[in-house]
Amino acid sequence: MGVMLEARGLNKGFGGIQAVNDASFDIEEGTITSLIGPNGAGKTTTFNLINNVIRADSGSVKFEGTEITRKMPHKLTRLGIGRTFQVTRALDDMTVIENMVVGSSAENLRGTFGSRMLDSETERALDLLAFVGIEKYAYSKAELLSYGQRKLLEFSAVLMSKPRLVMLDEPAGGVNPALLERMVDRIRRLNGEGLTFFIVEHNMDLVMDLSDSVIVMAHGEVLTRGTPEEVQSDGRVLDAYLGMA
Amino acid sequence: MIEDRAAMGPEDSAPEPTPEEVQRPPGPARYRWYVLAAVVVALLALPLFRPMISSYNYVLTLGALILMWVAMSSSWNILGGYAGYISLGHSVFMGVGGYVAGVLLYYHGISPFLTALLGGLAAVALGFLAGFITLRTRGPAFIISTIALLFMFLLMTDNFEYLGGAAGLPLPPLEVPQEWLRVPFYYAMLFIAFGAVWTSYRVAHSKFGMGLRAISEDETKAEVAGVPTRLYKISAFAMSAFWVGVAGGIYGYSIAFIRPTVFFTIAISAQMVLMAIIGGKGTVAGPVLGAVLIYAINEFSLVVFGATEFNIVIQGTILVAVLLFFPLGVVGTLRKMNRLPAFLNWD
Ligand SMILES: Nc1ncnc2c1ncn2[C@@H]1O[C@H](COP(=O)(O)OP(=O)(O)O)[C@@H](O)[C@H]1O
Ligand SMILES: [Mg+2]
Repeated sequence: MGVMLEARGLNKGFGGIQAVNDASFDIEEGTITSLIGPNGAGKTTTFNLINNVIRADSGSVKFEGTEITRKMPHKLTRLGIGRTFQVTRALDDMTVIENMVVGSSAENLRGTFGSRMLDSETERALDLLAFVGIEKYAYSKAELLSYGQRKLLEFSAVLMSKPRLVMLDEPAGGVNPALLERMVDRIRRLNGEGLTFFIVEHNMDLVMDLSDSVIVMAHGEVLTRGTPEEVQSDGRVLDAYLGMA
Repeated sequence: MIEDRAAMGPEDSAPEPTPEEVQRPPGPARYRWYVLAAVVVALLALPLFRPMISSYNYVLTLGALILMWVAMSSSWNILGGYAGYISLGHSVFMGVGGYVAGVLLYYHGISPFLTALLGGLAAVALGFLAGFITLRTRGPAFIISTIALLFMFLLMTDNFEYLGGAAGLPLPPLEVPQEWLRVPFYYAMLFIAFGAVWTSYRVAHSKFGMGLRAISEDETKAEVAGVPTRLYKISAFAMSAFWVGVAGGIYGYSIAFIRPTVFFTIAISAQMVLMAIIGGKGTVAGPVLGAVLIYAINEFSLVVFGATEFNIVIQGTILVAVLLFFPLGVVGTLRKMNRLPAFLNWD
């Protein structure tokens, strides 16, 4: 198992706040790695720096050995990095299935200016929606979905592009227990098939239960890293959370 | 950049939609094709009814104008409606087309009926360039940069002797007997309107168009989902320039002169926007209906109230009333209410 993602010396400041401060870490291929830390620790910003939604002040990111620091987000999606947002960003005015298909790359001009949806794409989208159990809403407007269903939609939409690394920003936030259980089960299954996950999550039971490795951030810095057991017994981690409380 | 709108959504309490199985929406009714065919035949046949139309040239002139605006507001809609980038400088492309075709006629005697398409291509080239620069901005900054583009061309043409300066260039009229003079212009504009609406329809039904809609909703989300947003936006800008440029080439010929103030004013650009918004921006049929509606309202109040200032007040009042009842434009609002008749449903 090699290193899939390699972040080195990432920095990002917003005005006076150093949101991410010299963060370096590796994500191993085939694992589930969690990123935890109190609110404002810089987890979401770290995600944004990795897929270049926000440009880093300095630092570099490599994916499967390729330098990706300055690549546009859509290129990274095509390269095999999928990413969801903490606050779901479904395209409300479009149907659920359009949300699934919108990013699929058209191979050429004919594809770009041809039909909105190819049969093969429709089929794959419906399969993935069925995988998370919301296929019956495929042709409804996305705005009709409940909050938890939107999280499931984003989760399955990310899979459309056949990513090798999936980054989830608080997939459990605001999701009811039944849908949450479904999501956890799907993450496990996909990981079993070899998909690598990088997950920001506040739900500690979920983190400790799912993760192979846990990275802890506080004040923009990587505080420590280890197995769930190691991290749980690390006094500094508790301090970081209590310090914020 | 955009991040973390901090508020978490509510617990899972939103009402669940109820369909049991995957429910595919019914396709739009087939009768819309018959309506379309009837409209096309009527438009094609109109000039044949010369003996039955009392003010023949007036009717054809008006028809050609409406068709031109159908084309221009449909083209504007590709950028402003689908992608959500409001351009208030789109008449710049009309001017580019008008000047390219006009100059080739004035200095080289080549008919604009041949060179208008060239004018369209010049407009596309400018669209790429302008898009490349202005699309680094969005929202109000983008709108203002399109207005700046318009002023740049107004200044340039005003001061460029070769183009006739502020007085412009007179164009030799088409050598056709007076009573048939409007016919070629009418058919040219009809062709342009077909071309523009067809382009708009194709875009709306393509992956490209879907990407544009995603951009208008949430650009960061679209980009992360895999849409090459910058390329798509610039392409939309260029594409939305083409038929506007072609129309400009024919229009200059039809009024027999080109002059900066004919093209490079905000009023002309704003008219495209107004038509698209009244009809329903972001829909295929909206700008078409909008152009027809605006002309219908103008003609109606002209006939009823005469060419007075009162007439202008009435026109304004009607427009405000339409937007009050149809905030998304006629087509957009009816669609939202599920009341859109099938012959207007081309999305
Ligand atoms: N776009 C932004 N502009 C200004 N400050 C930001 C922005 N995004 C994040 N921050 C700040 O950076 C810090 C880290 O935020 P974030 O990465 O969202 O933390 P987390 O996801 O760990 O809760 C916070 O102090 C936050 O207020
Ligand atoms: Mg966050």
